[in-house]
Amino acid sequence: MNAMIFSEKGELAAQIATMFRGKYDFDIYTTSDFPLDSYGARNVFKLTGPSIYADNISEFLARIFREKNYDFIAIGSSVMGREVSSLLSEILHLEAITEIMKLELNGEYFVTERFFYGGKTVIREESRARIFTFLPGLVDPMPVDTKSTISQLEVDIPSNVKIVNRIEKPKGSVNLEKAEIIVSAGRGIGKKEGLGIIQQLADILHGEVGGSRPVCLDYHWLSEERQVGLSGKRVKPKIYIAVGISGQVQHIAGMRGSKTVIAINKDKNAPIFNECDYGIVGDLYTVLPRLIENLKK
Amino acid sequence: MYNIIVCFKQILDIDQMKIDEKTQEPITKNLPYRLEDLSKNAIEEAVRIKEKHGGKVIGITFGGEQATLAMKEALAMGVDEGIILKGYKENNPELTSEVLAKKISTLKYDIVIMGNASADSYTGLVPGKVARKLNIPILGNAIKLELQENVARITRSMEDVNYIVESKLPALITVEQEINEPRLPPLIQIMAAGRKPMKVEEIQVNVQSSKRVIYNKAPKSDRKRIIFEDIDKGVEEVTRFLRSEAK
Ligand SMILES: Cc1cc2nc3c(=O)[nH]c(=O)nc-3n(C[C@H](O)[C@H](O)[C@H](O)COP(=O)(O)OP(=O)(O)OC[C@H]3O[C@@H](n4cnc5c(N)ncnc54)[C@H](O)[C@@H]3O)c2cc1C
Ligand SMILES: Nc1ncnc2c1ncn2[C@@H]1O[C@H](COP(=O)(O)O)[C@@H](O)[C@H]1O
Repeated sequence: MNAMIFSEKGELAAQIATMFRGKYDFDIYTTSDFPLDSYGARNVFKLTGPSIYADNISEFLARIFREKNYDFIAIGSSVMGREVSSLLSEILHLEAITEIMKLELNGEYFVTERFFYGGKTVIREESRARIFTFLPGLVDPMPVDTKSTISQLEVDIPSNVKIVNRIEKPKGSVNLEKAEIIVSAGRGIGKKEGLGIIQQLADILHGEVGGSRPVCLDYHWLSEERQVGLSGKRVKPKIYIAVGISGQVQHIAGMRGSKTVIAINKDKNAPIFNECDYGIVGDLYTVLPRLIENLKK
Repeated sequence: MYNIIVCFKQILDIDQMKIDEKTQEPITKNLPYRLEDLSKNAIEEAVRIKEKHGGKVIGITFGGEQATLAMKEALAMGVDEGIILKGYKENNPELTSEVLAKKISTLKYDIVIMGNASADSYTGLVPGKVARKLNIPILGNAIKLELQENVARITRSMEDVNYIVESKLPALITVEQEINEPRLPPLIQIMAAGRKPMKVEEIQVNVQSSKRVIYNKAPKSDRKRIIFEDIDKGVEEVTRFLRSEAK
């Protein structure tokens, strides 16, 4: 099997390549500057062009897919990646399955696994789909000794969309996926200042601070890179402490890999208590100061 | 004045969904339906455009027997006319996109609005496939939308950067949760919604998917679930645990 890997994020392309090595032959297509020459691809094609958007890049990749007779396409799951997969699916008349965490070949069929029902279940399917987007963070990218050929390709198809401006989001340097201990804040903290006590607990435990989606995206109390969940980071710390988080499926999907989960919530019926090892029912502003005081002793 | 089409989906209420302890399968029987999360944001955005610029909002849902409920809620939120396409069975983006695109292509529209991915299946394939079938640009993941003359401009939220992008109308726009706060229609509007025009059509499209479900199960949860309602006791036990484990 001969695969076309695309991701505008070099890191994701490297992850997919690491999973594919030894199983499939593959070339990598990317717009990223991330060094991809040592992940086992035959060729790495750096896509260039004045205005690269989902529509023209899809047309372009579809053309190459046909020319080079690839068997399937593996894409990094991102906003751009999912959009490209949907457009490619139409252009090439191939089924697509997005956000997968597992891919196995079974004769003419691919067997895939992905979350379903907002993360409550995992669905395992077989299909003739030939386009897949892979969740980020499934493996750590591992370089090899051999080098791939690197060349540039100019995306010579215009886009129907005009890019007016690019606005960087504030960036920190947190790597939640690697954190051993995470203290996560939910809407229950009620105000941005509530993060102070969350940070205190994290500091004592030498952990990182994470958050639910409302805290990161709606209120911007934390940066987006700290969002845990289906549409955020999938974390697997030794200890995950959920504070003022109700435990909706989309959040659970991101922290299910944690070894031990501790929940603090004032509502004893909050779903988080079904997904924790230790739970304390109580106001976080009562519980956390005591916990911190105890730990300091 | 804009002709706006909003596509929304009805889903099982996944937050109320329980798992069968023996089979690990979700219990879907008697589970209520609700409007899908981002579909609500899509409806809200469509109605806001109409309120700001004038025009008309047509709501389309491809659903099953319960779809009327979702449609009434959409009409109560401010959608003017509803089209229920009947025949939805399971998550099949091939079929859904074909059905929606076919219907939309018979209507007059400047803007089509959808959610960026649905809360239950989270596939995010429908919007792109519909846009491509209609041969119109897709402006995806909007957290802000502005219209001027014949141009739509959005703030497109990506993982670590936002883009301002624009295209000519007609265009398909997908929205993120942050774009707005969907309104809760007052009772009087829900009642009035019953008088708005609502069409029900059986679909005549047959698109098969090659997908076959091997299983759909909750991952095993071996959590201990030791819950303390006594705060003192809880703090004491959790302290002990953290002391021994968090090194
Ligand atoms: C497509 C899609 C993707 C999503 N992806 C994600 C994702 O990646 N991550 C994510 O987190 N969410 C995600 N969501 C949103 C998710 O559905 C929930 O809305 C969200 O997780 C709720 O966040 P929360 O628990 O902080 O807030 P809430 O649900 O509002 O819960 C707040 C909790 O705090 C408790 N509380 C309040 N005050 C106190 C106090 N003083 N002390 C103790 N407890 C208190 C309350 O009892 C409540 O349980 C997604 C949704 C959709 C539709
Ligand atoms: N059955 C449906 N009927 C109407 N709109 C739908 C349907 N399924 C998906 N959509 C739209 O497409 C968006 C993304 O869904 P999906 O591609 O299934 O993740 C949803 O938020 C809806 O706006």
